[in-house]
Amino acid sequence: MKSVVSLEGIRKVYRMGEIEFEALKGVSLEINEGEMVALMGPSGSGKTTLMQIIGLLDRPSAGTYVLTGEDVTILTENERAEARNREIGFVFQAFHLLPRLSVLENVEVPLTYAGVAAPERRARALEVLEKVGLAGKEHHFPSQLSGGQKQRVAVARALTMRPAILLADEPTGNLDSKTAVDVMSLFQELNDEGTTVIIVTHEADIADYTGRIVRIRDGMLESDQPNRHRKRPVGGVA
Amino acid sequence: MNPARDVPQTHPAKPRSSLAGMNPLQVVSIAWRAILGNPLRSILTALGVIIGVAAVIALTGVGQGSTANITRSLESLGTNLLTVSSGSGFRGGPPGLVRGGPGQTITLKDAQAIQTQFASQIAGLAPVAQGGQQVKFGANNMNATIIGTWPAYASVRNAQPEKGSFFTEADNQGRKRVAVIGYQVAQDLFEGTDPIGQKIRIAGISFTVVGVLPDKGNSGFASPNSQILIPLSTYQQRLGRSNNRGEPTVSQVYVQGLDKNSLKDLQNAITDLMATRHKKTSPDDYDFNVQNQADALASVNQVTQTLTLFLGGVAGISLLVGGIGIMNIMLVSVTERTREIGIRKALGAKPRDILTQFLVESVVLSVGGGVLGILAGLGLARGVGNLLSITPVFSPSSILVAFLFSAVVGIFFGFYPASRAARLDPVESLRYE
Repeated sequence: MKSVVSLEGIRKVYRMGEIEFEALKGVSLEINEGEMVALMGPSGSGKTTLMQIIGLLDRPSAGTYVLTGEDVTILTENERAEARNREIGFVFQAFHLLPRLSVLENVEVPLTYAGVAAPERRARALEVLEKVGLAGKEHHFPSQLSGGQKQRVAVARALTMRPAILLADEPTGNLDSKTAVDVMSLFQELNDEGTTVIIVTHEADIADYTGRIVRIRDGMLESDQPNRHRKRPVGGVA
Repeated sequence: MNPARDVPQTHPAKPRSSLAGMNPLQVVSIAWRAILGNPLRSILTALGVIIGVAAVIALTGVGQGSTANITRSLESLGTNLLTVSSGSGFRGGPPGLVRGGPGQTITLKDAQAIQTQFASQIAGLAPVAQGGQQVKFGANNMNATIIGTWPAYASVRNAQPEKGSFFTEADNQGRKRVAVIGYQVAQDLFEGTDPIGQKIRIAGISFTVVGVLPDKGNSGFASPNSQILIPLSTYQQRLGRSNNRGEPTVSQVYVQGLDKNSLKDLQNAITDLMATRHKKTSPDDYDFNVQNQADALASVNQVTQTLTLFLGGVAGISLLVGGIGIMNIMLVSVTERTREIGIRKALGAKPRDILTQFLVESVVLSVGGGVLGILAGLGLARGVGNLLSITPVFSPSSILVAFLFSAVVGIFFGFYPASRAARLDPVESLRYE
């Protein structure tokens, strides 16, 4: 199996004036291509910090991070932005769509920053929108969509660049339980097609949809186990 | 096995400009939508620049228009003109401002001496004696400036009658009571009927109208439209004055040079002659004054240019204030859109992309304000021009400068907010509520 994320002794220290707070105290983790992993832990455990480091939004204070074979701890800010654009597809709890842009334009944003020309951008955006079941909604605006639809747009946006990992931070936190199941089965479907998915959650229900559960507590890895009773929703997603 | 990643990835990919896929039009359209997203605020923000640019355009337009007006009316009164007048000082002032009065020191003999001495170097010479008088025709009467002069006045001061003809040397020799009347005089006294051959009364003396001058416009100083020209000898017999030695005086002598280049030399030579004749050794003692029309034009131009520059400067300051307004709103906008910046960064925007986005937005705002300001300024100048009966003059360069200046204001005052946006930390901006 090809390693996608390889963390070695990752530490993160926050300094607030005089006070130092160590959010991660040396985390080592290996995630392979095609895995679907849940990062679990109570609030304050450091799982969000770990997600931000994996997502190249933040830098570790110490340790090495190799993303798809490249040491990303030494990258400049611009290179990190490029790697984020190319390798990471973010899905956030609060959807984080740009309200002034249409669905299609939202999905096109990462392609724009990658320098993809307009006709190809549009074609690829329409393709992923169809994949998440939102064909025909491309000219709607985020305010006209339901929560589940918004999160699908966010998933589509995360997929347009065909990233190495789909990184979802509490993706069902703002959704009702039925919609949450829909979104989780979408992730499962994408994972079945080979996409590496990392889901940060504090809900065991949600973690059950993944194939591997990594628990963080007090900035350290508490456990890392395969999920033998992986939940599969009935029916799945069109 | 991985259909989602079926496109071969070159890794690590070469960094390339992330703006390569965004043509400038698209960058502008993103900025434009952000501006339209808050139309009232955008208009209020741009208002500073609109007012600033409008003020610059209107003030310089009216200023240049009035300069052109004065220049034109001065030039319509004769070219290559020297004016010899009484008194010292007021060097460089507009000719014709020194009126007749008890202090007249130039005599008719001075004029004749200049005529004789420089016959080959001058195109024409016309001494002038003048004074205000009541003029009557039938029941109509008005106050007009009566000018006694020689027939050469017609060519020297560009006063060819539009109707009829100028009086002749014979009229002057014979002290004939004939008059060439200004445009306004003809309008006021004759109200549309033909004045030629009619008799008017100047200070109770009957004169026959032989010519009517064309409309010369209002120069602001002693308007030629309300003048009446009569032979100098007639004037001196009927209305004239003399100095304390009993020699008849004139208020000015107009001398027309042959060309522009020799005018300065002629001016000096006439000054020397006058100094000799008046027995003055030091320029401080001169009781006469030889003015060059070019000097007068230059001084008028200088006054209006200074005024235009001053007004333009005041307007420029308001443009600067407008720029500060843009900076203020852009800072607010960056704060409000912290989350958007975080999202864009998470999706791969580089600091430079964010910088460009906000910078373009402030430039679109200020340039949009600049364009509206130019239009408003053109309209304003027309309105003010109508009020002051000045045709505003817009040089393409002043419009271009105003436009570029507004763009520079946008870049200058947009840069700080934009660079603040570009430097925002993605983690913190995503967390921002």
